[in-house]
Amino acid sequence: MKKVLVAAVFAVALSILAATAWGSASAPARVATSLATASVNCGSTRSIGIAYPATGDAASLGVQQFHWANFAVKRWNKSHKGHIKLVQGDTQLPNTAQALAVAHQFASNGKILALTGPAGSQEVQDTDAVYKSGGLAAVSGSATRVALTRTKGSTTRETPKGFFFRTVPTDGQQGDRVAFWIHKKLKKTRIYIIDDEEAYSQGLADQVQADLSKAGLNPSRDHVSQAVSDFSSLITRIPSNTQVVYIPWQLAPKAQIFYQQLRAAGKNAIVFGSDGTFAPGTFEAKGGYVSAFPVDFGSAAVKAYKKGHGGQDEAFGLPTFTSVWVNATAIDRACKAGHGKTTRAKVRQQLGKVKLSASQSLLGFPVKFLTKNFGNYQGAGDMAAPADFAIFHIANNGGYVRVG
Amino acid sequence: MHLPLLSIHDIYVTIRELGWGGAFELLRNGIVLGSLYALIALGYTMVYGILKLLNFAHGDVYMIGAFIGYGVLAALGGPLNPDIGLAPLIILMFLVAMVGAGGLGIAVERFAYKPLRNAPRIAPLISALGVAFFLENSVQLLTNGTRYSYNAFELGGKNGNLGPLFSPVFHVLARPVSVVQVLIVSTALALMLALTLLVSRTRLGKAMRATAFDREAASMMGIDTDRVITSTFFIASVLAGAAGVMFGLYIGETYYFMGFLAGLKAFTAAVVGGIGSIPGAMVGGLLIGVVESFAIGYVGGQWSDIVIFGILILFMLLRPNGLFGSRAIQKV
Repeated sequence: MKKVLVAAVFAVALSILAATAWGSASAPARVATSLATASVNCGSTRSIGIAYPATGDAASLGVQQFHWANFAVKRWNKSHKGHIKLVQGDTQLPNTAQALAVAHQFASNGKILALTGPAGSQEVQDTDAVYKSGGLAAVSGSATRVALTRTKGSTTRETPKGFFFRTVPTDGQQGDRVAFWIHKKLKKTRIYIIDDEEAYSQGLADQVQADLSKAGLNPSRDHVSQAVSDFSSLITRIPSNTQVVYIPWQLAPKAQIFYQQLRAAGKNAIVFGSDGTFAPGTFEAKGGYVSAFPVDFGSAAVKAYKKGHGGQDEAFGLPTFTSVWVNATAIDRACKAGHGKTTRAKVRQQLGKVKLSASQSLLGFPVKFLTKNFGNYQGAGDMAAPADFAIFHIANNGGYVRVG
Repeated sequence: MHLPLLSIHDIYVTIRELGWGGAFELLRNGIVLGSLYALIALGYTMVYGILKLLNFAHGDVYMIGAFIGYGVLAALGGPLNPDIGLAPLIILMFLVAMVGAGGLGIAVERFAYKPLRNAPRIAPLISALGVAFFLENSVQLLTNGTRYSYNAFELGGKNGNLGPLFSPVFHVLARPVSVVQVLIVSTALALMLALTLLVSRTRLGKAMRATAFDREAASMMGIDTDRVITSTFFIASVLAGAAGVMFGLYIGETYYFMGFLAGLKAFTAAVVGGIGSIPGAMVGGLLIGVVESFAIGYVGGQWSDIVIFGILILFMLLRPNGLFGSRAIQKV
């Protein structure tokens, strides 16, 4: 009898636990959905969520993004009545589970009116449904995969229209730029392309390979997991007469190790990185190149940033400054239009209408968002022309010099 | 979606293009990598031999060893401007990392496994997994996930040029064999030889063999089995610590997650060689390293893990005792 009673109590307790768990699991989703249209008092300080890799493998890039975001907030608050504050979410790129956890937190945090980030293309792919359910549009300063905004071949657009914007040109534009530079400027013909098996890298590698093949070259293609650190056998596969090794990787420390191991193996090919490896002080492939977001290094704001950050421009993070400025502008307009009240939906509507001058964006060109497809690589949510990538040369002292 | 098609023709073309020189390079790379796996595999096999425990935390002891080595390097001026000469620096890094890792091994055994000696076998296994996650996440928290660079390529060098560790000692088929590669293989061989002599020629070794054979009987014969087990964990962890420093010097970096995949592959090596067999762990480690190197070199980077873990499955199906393992006879 006692055993039956104990079993019954246990069963009831388990049922209560299961019901609570189910309720609380679906509660955030229900809360997030209702927050999408809930009216919020703007108040004097408005919140922007920033989803970025504060820790983990890509932390060296995430930290740059956060520094620039903070810089944007300080500058905005100095010149605007409606102040902005950042709510941080550490996505630990490439940790998908963590990116999703941040997405759920932000979507169900009623104070957050806009979103800067996520940083990685695969994070956008993994979390856009969650952000959409919460009515938040992602404004990313570094997710460059073409298919996020554009149907490409058999791949349909990967984010819902109106819920994804980016303050950085696409891989298609970057790929074209890189292929042009290798073929027409460097005049190299023996090229070896290695992707790191992530969505960002594969897309960029595909683009460059296709462009170079169209130009009559026949680049070799290889793959390596982000988990690998010993590249010695991979390097054995690279012919000794290879002139350029293109590594569109996400992790700058890995790219640096690859470069060092390549040199240690006696191979002198030029190492060409992408915006994911744009990390002065970390990726220092002497004589190499990096494609990255163009930066107006001559602007007073960039100089002020450098002064406050030990002389480092941390250029990878600059488009995140632009992202925060875009979000802040959209919130400000939505709050003014709503006479002190707004909703996430209204902020989102304003995002597509934001226009920044070159001096506001710091990108070296004005920012205006497309509302439909343009050219081969851009769709609604991308920046309109003249947005494009720049090429940097890595000098013998490891410094980055813009050359294109 | 990319479908990584495996073409026999492409493999054949690659083999021909790489030629004998490429084959030697892959063999060289595989032996170096295999030496690291062998050192870690020895730890798995020794602990399993004594306690029948798969110490999944062992890969993380290797990771901690690499961090300790980096700590010594940083404390003595860093890779670009060390305070002492290269040889004493490297010796010190090894010694401190080995002793530190050994101490960690003893602590893990004392607090996570000893209380569970008489518990069902699953309990220490779960505890081992818990220790592994604890160590990984602790280091991640302490380091913010940052990768620390030994910068071994420039260590001892001038003006940012390649340092002496990577200068060639000799050439085979015009392919260089560098100082660090010779250092790793010779140190690993020396440690394996020392271990073999310890196990076969010393009283402690005899006690270890007796305890591995039958712990209860060994205890009844007057052997302090607790001390033997502690010594086993210490020695296993010392080897892992040495492997950690070698990895840092060869690859150039250390980070919180490096123990996971290396530990898995070393575990595979221990199983392939025959779990519980010391010569088996050595041969298994070298075999896995060479297979991995040739898989990457001839087939492609994305296939190497599939090949290695495919081998593990094959061995479990066809030769579950491994290359050097023996069938256990159970009295019914």
